[in-house]
This record gives sequence, C-alpha cells and structure tokens, in this order.
Amino acid sequence: MIELLNIERVFLVGDEEVHALRQISFDVATGEYVAIMGSSGSGKSTLLNILGLLDRPDSGVYQLDSQRVSELDEDHLAEVRRHQIGFVFQFFHLIPRLTAFENVELPLTLAGVAPSLRKQKVTDALAAFGLRDRARHRPAQLSGGQRQRVAIARATIMEPKIILADEPTGNLDSSSGSEVINILEELNRLGITVIMVTHDHAIGARASRIIRMADGRIESDSRHR
Amino acid sequence: MRLNDFFLITFLSVREQPLRSFLTALGIAVGISAVVLLTSLGEGLHRFVLSEFTQFGTNLIAINPGKKSTLGVSGAVISNVRPLSIDDADALSMLPGVIKSQPVIQGNAAVEAGKRQRRTTVFGVGSDTPEVWQLSVAAGHFLPNDPPRNARPYAVLGSRLRKELFKQEPFLGKRLRIGGEVYRVIGGMESKGQMLGFDLDDAVYLPIAKAMSMFNRESLMEIDLLYDKDHSAESITIAASKMLKKRHGSEDFTITTQEQMLETLGSVLNILTIAVGALGGISLVVGGVGIFTIMTIAVNERRAEIGLLCALGASRQLVRLLFLGEAITLSLLGGLAGLILGVGCALGLALLVPALPIHTSWGFVAAAELIAVLVGLGAGVLPANNAASLPPVEALRAE
Amino acid sequence: MRISDMFTFSVFAAIGNRGRTALMLLAVSIGVASVVLLVSLGESARQYVSNQFSSLGSNLLIVLPGRSETVGGPPPLLGITPRDLTIDDAETLARIAVVRRFSPLVVGAAPVSHRQKEREVTILGASRDIFAIRRMEIGQGVIWPANDNRFQAVCVLGSKVKSELFGNDNALGQKIRIGDYRFQVIGVMRPKASSLGDDLADMAIIPIASAQALFDTSSLFRIVVEAESEAEIAKAKEAIIRTIRARHDGEDDITVITQDAILATFDKIFKAMTLTVAGIATISLIVAGIIIMNVMLVAVSSRRAEIGLLKALGAPKRQIVYLFLTEAGAISMAGALCGLGLGGSILRLLAWFLPQFPIFFAPWSSIVAFTVALSTGLLFGILPAQKAADLGAAYALSRR
Ligand SMILES: Nc1ncnc2c1ncn2[C@@H]1O[C@H](COP(=O)(O)OP(=O)(O)OP(=O)(O)O)[C@@H](O)[C@H]1O
Ligand SMILES: [Mg+2]
Repeated sequence: MIELLNIERVFLVGDEEVHALRQISFDVATGEYVAIMGSSGSGKSTLLNILGLLDRPDSGVYQLDSQRVSELDEDHLAEVRRHQIGFVFQFFHLIPRLTAFENVELPLTLAGVAPSLRKQKVTDALAAFGLRDRARHRPAQLSGGQRQRVAIARATIMEPKIILADEPTGNLDSSSGSEVINILEELNRLGITVIMVTHDHAIGARASRIIRMADGRIESDSRHR
Repeated sequence: MRLNDFFLITFLSVREQPLRSFLTALGIAVGISAVVLLTSLGEGLHRFVLSEFTQFGTNLIAINPGKKSTLGVSGAVISNVRPLSIDDADALSMLPGVIKSQPVIQGNAAVEAGKRQRRTTVFGVGSDTPEVWQLSVAAGHFLPNDPPRNARPYAVLGSRLRKELFKQEPFLGKRLRIGGEVYRVIGGMESKGQMLGFDLDDAVYLPIAKAMSMFNRESLMEIDLLYDKDHSAESITIAASKMLKKRHGSEDFTITTQEQMLETLGSVLNILTIAVGALGGISLVVGGVGIFTIMTIAVNERRAEIGLLCALGASRQLVRLLFLGEAITLSLLGGLAGLILGVGCALGLALLVPALPIHTSWGFVAAAELIAVLVGLGAGVLPANNAASLPPVEALRAE
Repeated sequence: MRISDMFTFSVFAAIGNRGRTALMLLAVSIGVASVVLLVSLGESARQYVSNQFSSLGSNLLIVLPGRSETVGGPPPLLGITPRDLTIDDAETLARIAVVRRFSPLVVGAAPVSHRQKEREVTILGASRDIFAIRRMEIGQGVIWPANDNRFQAVCVLGSKVKSELFGNDNALGQKIRIGDYRFQVIGVMRPKASSLGDDLADMAIIPIASAQALFDTSSLFRIVVEAESEAEIAKAKEAIIRTIRARHDGEDDITVITQDAILATFDKIFKAMTLTVAGIATISLIVAGIIIMNVMLVAVSSRRAEIGLLKALGAPKRQIVYLFLTEAGAISMAGALCGLGLGGSILRLLAWFLPQFPIFFAPWSSIVAFTVALSTGLLFGILPAQKAADLGAAYALSRR
C-alpha cells in the first residue's frame, strides 16, 4: 500500500544543508504494524510527515495505493489526508477552546458531514474509547491519557486506512501509555495500517516490524512474529 | 539602567516583530496624516478667506445706515428715513487720523456701448476709491475729485466689463449709456477678481452723486474710512461715532472695523479648522486602540521574558517603563510617518488641484504629534502596569 | 465544510480570545459610531433647514429688480436699479393664472416710538397677503382691510417689537410714531416656533402704500409670489418674466429666484458637507481595518499548531482562508453592530439634551457604516488568511 523509493529531504538552515532523509526506500503492506525507532534527530518525524502528506520529499517517489502522491496538488493531498490518514501526535494537538466532543467532530465538520450524522458518530466513538462522560470537557480538564484517547478518536472518526502516530506515548506515564498502545494495536487488529514513531524499546518490540533510523538513513528493517 | 541601553532594548523589541510594529504604527500614521491634511485644508481656507478680505487693506472702517440687526444687514441699507449723506462722508474725512473717506452706493443697471449691452454692477463712489479699496488703474484715470453737486458724467470700467463691451478695441473717451444718461469712459481698472461673490471686475464706477440720482436714492449705502496706521481702530470708531451722532442727533448707523471683522472671521475659521482636525482625530483614537491591543498581546506573549527580567533583579518600575517606552516608540514612529504622509498628501493635492487653498500649519502639526505621543502613552499605561504587576513566579512558569 | 459550521468555528475562535476580540470590536465600533453619528447629525441639520424653509411658506418665488449677466452669478440681492419695480408692475402679476397670491415689499429702517421709548425698527411694507404667504399668524387684533394701495396709518407689530415698546401692556389701538407719521397698532403677531421664520418678530409691518410714503420712494424692494402649486412654479416664473418684460419696454431687468432653487442649493451644500464628514470618519474605519489585520496576523502565529492540525485533518488551503476571513468578517460585523448601538445611544442622548433641534437617526448611515466595516474587515483579513493557509503543515505542527 505504501511504496517509498529513494526519498530525500534536505532542509536549508542558513547556508547549511541538513540532510534529514537520505535514500529512504521501503514498502508497507496493508494491515502492517510498524514501529520507527532511532535517536533524536535521526529523521523519524520528517519521514512520518512525508508519509502523512504533510510534507513533500525533495526527490524520490512515494506511491500510496499505487498512486504517485508526490505529484498530486495541494487540494488533492488534503483530500487524501481527510479520508485515508489519521494522525496521533505526541502533544495531542487538541484545540483548547473546543470540547472533547467538538475536537473529535472536527474532521467530520471539515468534510461537511450533516450535523445529525456527526452527532451519532462522535457519540459512538467517544463511547468506544471510554470517554462518554467526558464529552463536554475541554482538553485542559482532561488527563494526558484521556487527551490522547480523544486524539485517537479524532484520528479514527473518518475511518482511515492508515494511522500515523509520532511518539504517541512520549508525553504519558507508563500506564496511560500502554493503554494508548493497546488501543492502537486493537485498531491494527481491525485491519488499519499503523505506523508509529517511538523511543520506547518495549513498545517498539510489540510491533510486527521495526525500522531503525540513524542520521537520515534506514539502519535496519526487521520483521518478527 | 543606562538611558541608551533603555532605548536600545525598546528599539530591539519594536524591531523584533517588524510587520506587527509597522501595522501598529501605520494606524497612528493614518490618523496623524488625516489630521495634518485636514488642518492643512482648514488653515488654507482660513488664509484664503483672510487674504480675500485684506486685499482691501486692513485699516478700513465701514459705516452703514441703521442699527445693526440680528439679520446682519439692516433694512436701513435699502431705505431709511435718516439718510447717510455725502456731506457726512465729507465731514468724516476731516477727522484726525482719517486719510480718506469714501461714499459708496451699489446697484444694478444695463450699460450700453454702441450696439453692445451688459447688465452689471454699478458702484457710485468718490475719487479716492483706488486708494481706499486698493485697486489700480490700468489705463486712463480714475474719477476726478469733482464737487458732488456738479460732477462730470465720467465712468471707469472694471476689466471684465471692459472686455465684454469693447473687446480689444480702444475704449478711453468712448460714450456709455447707463440709466438713460450718457457717460464718457475716462479709465479702466486692473483685474481684482472675485471677492466672496462680488465681482469687482464686472462693474462700472460712477461719480457718487450721479449714481444716487440715477438710482433715485437719498442715502449712501456705506461710507468707508481709510485711517492712519498710527491710530487705533477704536479711537477712529469713537471719533466717527461721536461726529455722526452729533450730526444726526441719534445713533442710527453701524460701524464695522475691518479688524473686528477679521477677528470674528478668524476665530470662526479657527474653530472650523480645529473641528475638522478633531474629526481626523477619531482615527487617531482608533489608532490608540491598536497600540493598546498590540501592547496587551505583547505583555501576554512575553510573560517569560518579564519573569526573567524580574528574576535578574529588574524593578517593577523598570518593567513598566520598558513597555511604556515601547508603546511611545510605536506612536512616535507612526506620528513621524503620518507627518510625512500628511504633508506629502497636502503637497500632492496642492499640485493636482492648484485652486485648492492648502497651507500646512506647523502649530497644528506639532499639536498632532504631541497628541500621538499622548495616545501612545495612554494606550501603553494599562498593559505596562499589567506587565509590572505580574508575579515573577507566575510569569516564569508560563513557558 | 458547511457554511454554518464555518461560521460557528470562526465565531468560537474569536470568542476564544476575548480580550483581543473585544479590542477589535472597540476599534470598529468607534469608527462605525462616528460615521453614524456624523451622518445623522448632517442629515438632521439638512432636514431642519428644509423644515425651516417650508415654514416660510411654500411654492414661493421672489422677484428682484436688476439682473446679473453672468450665468450662475449671484443675484443682485441689494439690487437697486435705475428702472425700479413698481406697485403697478406687481399689480399686473395678479393677471397670471398660476399665481395664487403675491405681495410687493418695501423694506427700510425707521425710528419707532411710543411715549418715551424709541427704537430703530425694520419696517416691512407689504400687502395683506404677505401674512398668508409667509404663514404668519396674528396673535391679537386684525390685519388691515384689503386696500393696500391707499395710505392707511395702521400697523401690525412683531412680537418682539411689541414687548419692547409696550411690555405686557395692551398695544391694540395705541398710537405709535414711525418716522414722521403716526400709526395705530391694529395687530400683534404670534411668535413663530422656528427661528428662521421668526425674523419678522423684530419688525413692524405696514401697508405697502404707507411704507412708500414713509420712505418717500416709489420703488419696491422685491415682490414675493406664491404659485398655485409646486408643479406650477416654473410656469409662474416664466410668466412673471414675460409680464414684466412687456411692461419694461422688452427689457429683461429683473431676476426671479424660486424658493426651491434656494432650498436645493442649501440641500446640496448640506449633502456635500455630510458626505465629506462621513468620508473623514470612514478613515477611522480603515485604521480599525489595519488593527484587525495586525491582530489576525498575531492570531495566525499563535494559532500555528491549530492551523497545522486543520491541515493534517485534511482541510484544503481554501478552507483555511475562508475560516480566517469569516473570523475577520464576523468581528467587523459585530463591531459594526456595537458601533450602531453606540452611535444610536449618543444620538438619543443628544436629542434629549437638545430638544429644540430635531435629531434623528439616518438609516442610510448604518448601511454605509456596515458595508464599509465589513469590507475593510474582509479586505484586511485577506493577508492574514493567506498567511495562515500558506503555513507549511509539518512546520506548523512542530513545536517551534
Ligand atoms: N523545518 C526544519 N528546518 C530545518 N531543519 C529541520 C526541520 N525539520 C527537521 N529538521 C532537521 O532534520 C533532522 C531530523 O529531524 P526530525 O524532527 O525528523 O528528527 P526526529 O528523528 O523526529 O527527532 P526526535 O526524536 O527528537 O523527534 C534534524 O537534524 C532536524 O534538525
Ligand atoms: Mg520527532
């Protein structure tokens, strides 16, 4: 489903070129559960951003579902993100002025779904993630684990094929962290492709495939189970 | 803290967010330039009107029949039972300090020269008109100083009337027919232009006594006194008033000094200019709201910086001054830009529309700049106080 | 995204930062309030003047002796001419069908005395129709009988003249001296409500023939004519000019001005003034627009993460532009509403303090203010909105 060939990403900092990604090539099949690991600055987030169509590679080919997405225009990229990709971030990125309900509802709102249908879906999703009685709360009134669950509910509300998670447990204590990982694994079992960046070896070890990065390159790519 | 360090820090924080600072200052600049431009127009109008009036000279006193009424012009100018006479004018010329005394009557008549005819203003005047009204003769002479009872039938033409009646042809010595009588042209005047609706060029000047009998009037409409610069307007007014009261037995006339008129007019026009400037000032107030907004945002964003400053031992007073300084810098910069913009617009307008009287008064400009600084100060006080009263711990915690 | 959702999202975004939004509202509302206020005051003044004019009578024409050759030049208001307008000239106007009534006028000043009190008073010589033409009401007594062309030693006093000469005493039937003649007071005018129409309070009105004798003149100052109807004013003007020309050996030596023309001139002046003043006030709305732009730019940088999130959730650029524009537009609309309220309240307050001056709210001012406020809001919102839409998604989501 995902095919990367010779992806390069170079940032210009002043006069200096920073090679964040060099010659990245790998494929991900539908339903895989991939952990991306590596030291800080090795290019994990940059790779995830490119996978999520938030950023474009400077060279190389990225095919998503056999479509060369590197050639799509901005509006089409937005559409692909809207319908096929769900994001989970380390810092949750919930909108502080909106309630948990409204935050989860946001992708549906953006897609122009009718309010009555939205209400149904969001209520169901919140219930599924154990947040039924937190619907009217704002992010500031939620614990870290609850916030990340709201974020995952938001990421899944459009029923995407892929979930991209950048250090989803990075800001959580270990018990809320494993709770979040359990949810992601559950989603994976339901057939959603999950690609997750993590620093935690124990969490990485639970994935079916680990891609290790160093200095913008893939150092190793191993599957088990 | 050293003063130049203080200025440096203020300057650096203004430069930190160039677009934001630019827009904030722009608000003030638009306000200031509106004030500058509008007061320039007001002041220009002021000067224009004053120069219109003073083209007759400033040491003039006008005497009209009838007491002053609320309507401005008394009905007595049109008819009255106690006329103002040529003898009155002669008597007034004897007063010490009075250089010339000029009787005036004004009417409307058809002037015929050969086949051409034009309806025009007729001034019945004495021989001293050029001196009293500061007109100059372009060709020939003005009316001679004949005794009123047997004045010769001479006429002097305003420049517009001359062109209408004679085009480029010679006109001196030609005959005119006005109100059934024949006059001989002995002179032509230089152009003087319009004065508040009266066109002194589209006019013919006739001897006063002739004009009075033509219009069948007993009374003059006005006597103008030209007085010595060494005498004050009041002393002449008092003397003239005393003499006329003695001659008429009662005070049945109104004396207006040019000085009084200019003063009243000047203060009216000044109020107008200030009012128009104040209208522009609304924008300045809105610009002040802009500074207030941006300073509030800045204080909010720089909580950590404020906390750090406090931790490093800055006093509350210093924090307050730093933010105030920033607000004033913004308004000052805006004020200067507005000054350039406003003066530029005024100059551009003056070039584009030369007929428009425009004069930039530096007094108003200075006032506008002062107001700009005050606006900055006023808008800065509250945010600066907020900054100064932030508890340092709280400020530092805000990432 | 649905329009209603877009609106809700933007409005809540604006409410989310109460302080800033309130300040932007303040800026816009100052601008809108000043536009509304100044336009309404200008319109009120215009209305006031035109009411004052109509209290002078309607469908009026004024015939002046003399004429100015320059087209559009000032009429010879003080015009005295070798060939005067005479009573006989005036009488012929009676033959014009579209003339309802008319009155010749002679104006002058003369000392008026009663017992020891003497004042100089403006004397108006007129026919009895002047009272109907100028809508003047007699408070006490009567007008002289309809025989204007004979000397009658009777007069009607303006209310001010009466109280100055007689105080609270009864003036009717009393003899007063005007110039060299003795007149009997047969009527006193009722004071008028409007100030422009009350110039007659300071006058004494006598029959036209008496005034001509008093001032020893056979000429008229002017003739006031009332046309049958508004539609007939132009016809009346033409007929008057024709009639007088025939009497004056084919010479056009009079000027006829219509009250409409004067009123139209005033109207034009007031309109121009109102527009100018409104234009000046509009500048403050532009400044408010600049503030909106500035604050929205700040919002774009402080809401960077939110913009990144919207992009990650698949909002296209256009959508983000719309969201920010809606926010700017909503703020300026709300500001305009506040300004309308503010301006309206100040107007009410003014009306309460100045009851003699009819101050009203000019509806078109609010339309102008709204349109200008909204369009500046949207115009100045474009740059921030574009900036928000152009933020790189990956960059916007990264922490710094
Ligand atoms: N917008 C940018 N501009 C310049 N350099 C960037 C930018 N984004 C990333 N980089 C650089 O690219 C490299 C890879 O960054 P990236 O964020 O992908 O690292 P990471 O593996 O996610 O690290 P971490 O584990 O700390 O999140 C780093 O050297 C970083 O400095
Ligand atoms: Mg990272």
